[in-house]
Amino acid sequence: MRRRDLFHSLVRLGERPHTSNVTPIVTTTGLEPHPTPLTIEDAYHLLRRAGFGPTRQRARSLVGKSSEQAVDELLGTTIEDPSTTPGTWVDRTTENPAGADLQTRFAIEAQWSTNMGSLANWWIQAMVADDSAIEKLTLFWSNHFTTEFSFDETNSIPQTLWRQYLMLRRNSLGNFPSFALDVTLDNAMVWYLGGHFNERGRPNENYARELMELFTTGIGWYTEGDVKEAARVLTGWKSSRFNDEPTGPDGYYHAYFDAARHDTGAKQFMGQTIAARTADNNTAFQVRTEEIARLIDIIHEQRPEAVSAFIADKLYRYYVYSSPTESNRQVVAGLANVFRSNNWNIRPVIRTLLASAHFFDPAVRGAQLKTPLEFIAGVLRQFGSSEGNPQDWSRRMDQSVMDPPTVFGWPGYRSWISTNSYPVRRNFAQGVIGRMTDAQALAFIRSFDDHTDIRKLVPQVVAYLLPVPVSEARVENYIKAALQNAPDYDWPQIVADAATAGQRIRTMLTTISRAPDFQLC
Amino acid sequence: MKRRTFLQTTGAAALGVNLLGGVPTRAFSPVQLLPTVTDQNDRILVVIQLFGGNDGLNTIIPVDNPTYYQIRPSIGVPKEEAVSVLGRVHMHPAMDPANVYNMRRMLEDGRLAIVQGVGYENPNLSHFRSTDIWLSGLNSSDPNVRLVDGWLGRHFSRTVSGFPEILPDHPLAVQIGGTLSMLFQSPKGDVGIALTDPQKFFELGQGLSPDLDPMSDETAYGREFNFVRLVAEQSDRYSSVVKEAFDKGRNTVQYANNGFVRQLQLVARLISGGLKSKVYMVYMGGFDTHVQQQSADLTGLHPFLLESLSTGVGQFMQDMLQQGQAEKIVGFTASEFGRRPEENGSRGTDHGAASVQFVFGPRVSSGVYGNTPDLGNLDANGDQRFQYDFRRVYADVIETWFGGDPADTEELFGERILPLGVLQAPVSVDDAYRGRDNVSISAWPNPTTDKLTLGWLQTVPGSVDVELWTTEGRFVKRLHRGWFDPGQVTLPLRIEATGSYLCSVTVNGRRSTVPIAVIR
Repeated sequence: MRRRDLFHSLVRLGERPHTSNVTPIVTTTGLEPHPTPLTIEDAYHLLRRAGFGPTRQRARSLVGKSSEQAVDELLGTTIEDPSTTPGTWVDRTTENPAGADLQTRFAIEAQWSTNMGSLANWWIQAMVADDSAIEKLTLFWSNHFTTEFSFDETNSIPQTLWRQYLMLRRNSLGNFPSFALDVTLDNAMVWYLGGHFNERGRPNENYARELMELFTTGIGWYTEGDVKEAARVLTGWKSSRFNDEPTGPDGYYHAYFDAARHDTGAKQFMGQTIAARTADNNTAFQVRTEEIARLIDIIHEQRPEAVSAFIADKLYRYYVYSSPTESNRQVVAGLANVFRSNNWNIRPVIRTLLASAHFFDPAVRGAQLKTPLEFIAGVLRQFGSSEGNPQDWSRRMDQSVMDPPTVFGWPGYRSWISTNSYPVRRNFAQGVIGRMTDAQALAFIRSFDDHTDIRKLVPQVVAYLLPVPVSEARVENYIKAALQNAPDYDWPQIVADAATAGQRIRTMLTTISRAPDFQLC
Repeated sequence: MKRRTFLQTTGAAALGVNLLGGVPTRAFSPVQLLPTVTDQNDRILVVIQLFGGNDGLNTIIPVDNPTYYQIRPSIGVPKEEAVSVLGRVHMHPAMDPANVYNMRRMLEDGRLAIVQGVGYENPNLSHFRSTDIWLSGLNSSDPNVRLVDGWLGRHFSRTVSGFPEILPDHPLAVQIGGTLSMLFQSPKGDVGIALTDPQKFFELGQGLSPDLDPMSDETAYGREFNFVRLVAEQSDRYSSVVKEAFDKGRNTVQYANNGFVRQLQLVARLISGGLKSKVYMVYMGGFDTHVQQQSADLTGLHPFLLESLSTGVGQFMQDMLQQGQAEKIVGFTASEFGRRPEENGSRGTDHGAASVQFVFGPRVSSGVYGNTPDLGNLDANGDQRFQYDFRRVYADVIETWFGGDPADTEELFGERILPLGVLQAPVSVDDAYRGRDNVSISAWPNPTTDKLTLGWLQTVPGSVDVELWTTEGRFVKRLHRGWFDPGQVTLPLRIEATGSYLCSVTVNGRRSTVPIAVIR
């Protein structure tokens, strides 16, 4: 028995069977900044985790900088809206399929699917192109404050999801309670979690529960009574969807307030009172600030440890290691502390984590299973390739953009790789590499120093594509795949001519892409 | 030996025997022992997950309870619209779709059991936590306790020797769908495969085996590397096995054109084609019916889901019966919770607690288990109380269907759970010879204040265990263990704590139960 197995069996004897409390990732490093200037490997690691993989150019631009300088560069100072949109459809109103004849209904819904595909492709291209950390962070929030495109028998209208995407992106480094308020009154969210149907005397608990269980405190920090009272606070908001339905003062696709449907009575929530209101002050502005913002503040005031630990833990799993049973408690607790002591601002939390010595610790490198979007955007980005309909690939790998299976979001971790999705991943990578022209393949290796020396080239390519150094035998194997029986002194001659180099380079890259750690980052 | 050669030489022999064979991977012991055959039976389990929380009260309708109609003014199913079956239960009419073999007919034909009031203590109203509880078989409400693997994953990983270093020739479990359920995850890796399209799986899966040895699992990187490596190995290996079964298999029923029904159609075809997987799992979402769950004419979202379920199960069963495969199949439904009895304001229902579970197949003891839900005695949240621990059917599966014993159940669930008795153990010659037969127990006085006498007629000598359980099926204590000679047995007992219990008498491994009550 290996030592680790023995250790495991001893641990298991001492606890209830098969329920695991979190076991620590033991490192001597913590949240203090990574002490040394970034090497190229450090830069690759940062770009894999904070974004969708390195490019050679981006990685080289970070080498020699301190981790804090590099992370500040990735986070930027302000977040500008994107300069393009998925299409003119984002501002178009949409007809109501309910009540329409079947042909019309199908046509409307088919248009939504087309638009959703265009939104997803647009976003994946943005991920591929992104040299900052913003798209990756927006994806985190999109999976945290979840909505689905298709659920039950209905859909979220793509126009509303586009607006939601922009809202998530603008808030991605902002103030968390204010972010949660924007999410609560987000038009797509008001529809998705039943707020639209949550009315005075006819409460619908759906959003109220998820606001706490999934968005702020995590499970176990509230009573069923809190759920019921929060639902009352949230009554009266409507989602704006179709061109034959009423809209509020902000126009189409903005949630609006219907005073008659708001429960004006006093609410008792987490031991605090939200005062009753009269008809005079039953307005959108007052209910928003005095009730909903107050509700969110109460959660943060009454359960600060829960909220900060819940979000810190989730960020840790997103950026460091997604295993539900392994974590570094000190790091997560420290991160939660940063969150609380910075008045719930997100930026310092992300900055501290990504610049930390723990983040760069060898013990966590290569531990993440790439999500389908990380895999797809990463392959395209790292090989400098493009793909016309990447969202179709991500769907086949079980990650449809903005359309997770449930409000919990993607189950994540090892569920990303199954006998169903793994073959599709391999197929995708093989296709992208196979479509590289001879000239593109040659340009790819020319971005490495001393590319005419195969023994210097291959270790660099491996470091660029795989997260952790590999054995000499594996490097030797990749050299062989490139040389294909030619002696290594022939390599300068081979790469002098794209026609002879192309196929050899593709073979080497395909061989590397077959390795299990090509799925890791 | 090269892996391929090994496969070819053992393939033929392995075809007839379950779980025989397997491949050595290079990094482990140079002397590979063939795994022992742990499970010679060919029995199959089909798990149907109904995600979102199925509304039990609008599935099996409590038509004679006026409270039901008071708390469900807009979505209650009127008695005259509900389908009365065998004069015992009323089903939602959507459960009885026309012109198709369905669950109403299965109940009439003795192939369906309805278990009412299935749940667990301290119900958790989170979809995710409650789903994890159902799939792991562990009831822990402590959010710091992470539920990370499934009871079937654990069962196979501990009973199939050599796993995962030696992979069985056929996948132990097959999930129809893209993502493998936690049900099939184990501390040693996935015991099952996820499958949507056998043809595509075959085309893409071939040759994916990585030409790399497993790594040391002392680092997180090494562990995840090995995980991916195992999936790659399974993809390569099982893509041809599945394809072979798919090509050989057939369906004899014109299945309804419905995503959920098609999943069961695929399961039927794989079974028909000789795939030796022990468990298949199919999935239907949409049960989180907070809004507009049903229109005034009893159509809408929830009825559609019920119709899909009834059609799928019925057609699957008909197909398997026609192909002579049904006797080895049982299935059950699992949904994380029921809905709140009182409807909400959106023609829907919010998260609830106990609900109804279906168990199906020719080998079930057909009928209705449990009482009609007591809507006058709800819990603090206004939810239904549970009558049966959700693991009681699981315990049947382990102990009766897959040939395990109470120690297996205890190991899997961390406590002993009384099998519901909904599955019939096949009676063998050996059983009859050893007197393994159920006995009829009488208990008097019952109710009692403390002292109680049990009596039964024993036909052969044997060891007897007398045990006490909660009415929901959780173990309380052993009352007696001993040897009895043939004849009328009387056994005086004393029970301290008041309450309602089940008392079980297990003679030579065959268990019988009697309900008792202690009142002071």
